[in-house]
Amino acid sequence: MSSPTHAERTGSVNPALDPDKLEVAPGIAHETIEGWVPALATEEEIRVALEKAFDYRGDVTITLKDNSKIEGYIFDRVTGATLNSSFLRLLPKDSNQRIKISYADIAALAFSGRDPAAGKSWEAWVRKYWEKKTTGQGEASLQPDSLE
Amino acid sequence: MPVPISQMWTVATYVLKQKLQGRKRYPFVLMLEPLFRCNLACAGCGKIQYPAHILKRELTPEECFKAVDECGTPMVSIPGGEPLMHSQIDKIVEGLVARKKYIYLCTNALLLKEKLHLFKPSKYLTFSVHVDGEREHHDFSVCREGGFDLAIDGVREALKRGFRVTTNTTLFDGADPNSVRAFFDEMMELGVEGMMLSPGYSYDKAPDQKHFLGRARTRRLFRAILSNRKSTWRFNQSPLFLEFLMGKRTYACTPWGMPTYNVFGWQKPCYLLQDGYADTFQELLATTAWENYGTESGNPKCANCMVHSGYEASAVDHTFSGLRGLWATAKAALTTKYEDPDALVMLNESAKPVHAFNPLVQINTNESKLEETRA
Repeated sequence: MSSPTHAERTGSVNPALDPDKLEVAPGIAHETIEGWVPALATEEEIRVALEKAFDYRGDVTITLKDNSKIEGYIFDRVTGATLNSSFLRLLPKDSNQRIKISYADIAALAFSGRDPAAGKSWEAWVRKYWEKKTTGQGEASLQPDSLE
Repeated sequence: MPVPISQMWTVATYVLKQKLQGRKRYPFVLMLEPLFRCNLACAGCGKIQYPAHILKRELTPEECFKAVDECGTPMVSIPGGEPLMHSQIDKIVEGLVARKKYIYLCTNALLLKEKLHLFKPSKYLTFSVHVDGEREHHDFSVCREGGFDLAIDGVREALKRGFRVTTNTTLFDGADPNSVRAFFDEMMELGVEGMMLSPGYSYDKAPDQKHFLGRARTRRLFRAILSNRKSTWRFNQSPLFLEFLMGKRTYACTPWGMPTYNVFGWQKPCYLLQDGYADTFQELLATTAWENYGTESGNPKCANCMVHSGYEASAVDHTFSGLRGLWATAKAALTTKYEDPDALVMLNESAKPVHAFNPLVQINTNESKLEETRA
C-alpha cells in the first residue's frame, strides 16, 4: 500500500518547469467545494472525491454503508489497489478518538464544514489595510476566527 | 559568538555519531507543534487553516516528551500555532530542559511579555521571535498593525531578564532588500543573539497563493541581502545554508532532517507538506516514499522550496561529510563579508514593497501592480 504522491495527484510533472528559473512559485488554485456532495457511483469517483476531502481545509461528513454518520477532519489517507485496502483517518468533531475508515465502507461524502481559509486572500487583506489607512479608522488587522 | 560552545559541541558530536553509525537518514531538529491555534491570521501561513475543534486540540506534555525521546535530536524547535497560547507550555519547556534539549520556542511574541514569568533563563531555552522586517513590513506581513511594537517589547523584556533571544524572518515576494538590511542593523542593536532567515514556502492551505518566491528570485533576493555583509550581523544558522540561499551552493532536500510532530502524529514527509501521518517516528522513516520529495524529485509541490526545514539539514550534513565540508564551513564562518559589487548594484535598484500598492486608487498603470522584487 502507498499514498499517492503529490506529483501523481496533480497530474504529470510539467517538463518545462525548471525550478531554478522560477520567479514566482505557482500557488494552488483551491476549488470552491464547501457544501459539495460528490457522486460516489464508481471507484474512480470515490478515490477522486476522497483525495479532495483529504486536501480540504474544513470538516467533512461521511455516511457509512450501515447508515451511521461521522463528521470530522480527515488528516490521513492511504490508498491501496482496492477500495478495501484503502483507508482514511479522521478526527471527529465531537471526540478525541481517531477513526480509521475503509474506502469500501463509505456510502456518501459531504463537504459540510466551512473552509476556514476561503475569502481570506492577500488581496482582501491589502484592500482592508488601505481602507483603514485611507479612513484613519484604527489599526488594520486580520483576526483569527473565533473557536466557539 | 552567536551560539554557545556547548550547543555547538552537542550538535557536532550528535551529527558525527550518526555519520559514524552509518545512518543514512537521521533527524537533526525536531519540529514540535504542540497546537495549531494562533493569535495572528497571516495570509501566507498554511499552519492554522483548520476547523475550530482541531485548533482547540493540544499535545500533552507527555506526548511531547514521548516524541522528543523517540526522535532523539539534540535540538527541538517549538513552532505552531503560537506556542505561548498552549495551556502547559511551561511544563513542556521544563521537561525538555530537564532532558538537556536545546529548545527554540518560536513565537510571534505578542504574549511574550506577559508569559515570561512562566520560564527560567537557561542555555537550553531560546525564544525565536518571528519578526518579518522593519515595523511596516512586519505588520503588513503578519496582517496585524501594532504587532511589531508588541514583539519588540517582548524581545526587550526577555533580554533584560537574561533569556536567549533570536529572531526568525520569513521573506515573501516583494521584500525590499535595503529594508531587510536595515532591519538586521536594528535587531543587532536591540541585542538579539542571532538572526534566522527563510524564504516563504507556498503552503497549500495558505489563503494567499500568489506571493511565494520562486527559486531564481529567492537567490537574487538573498544575494542582494547577504552579500557585502556588515561585521555586526550575526546569523543563528548554518553558514553553508545561507550560501545556498545566495545561490552559491546547491543541495538536495533532506526532508527527514527536521521531522514534524503535531496533534495528527508524525507528518509525512516534512514540516511543510502534509501527505499523511505516521504514528511513530520509525514508521515515518520506514513508510515515507522519500524519493517523491525534494526539488530534484520533480514534485511540483517542492519546486520553489529553499526552506531551512529541507535544506539546512543538508548544509549541516555537508559540513560533517568530510574535510571539504569542514573547510567550507570554517571559511564561511571566518570570511563573512561576501564582497559582491553586482549585489551592491542590485541594492541600488528600486524596489517597491507590496504594501506600497494601494488598490483603492483607481488610476492603475502596469507598474503599479503588486510589485515584484527587483533584486
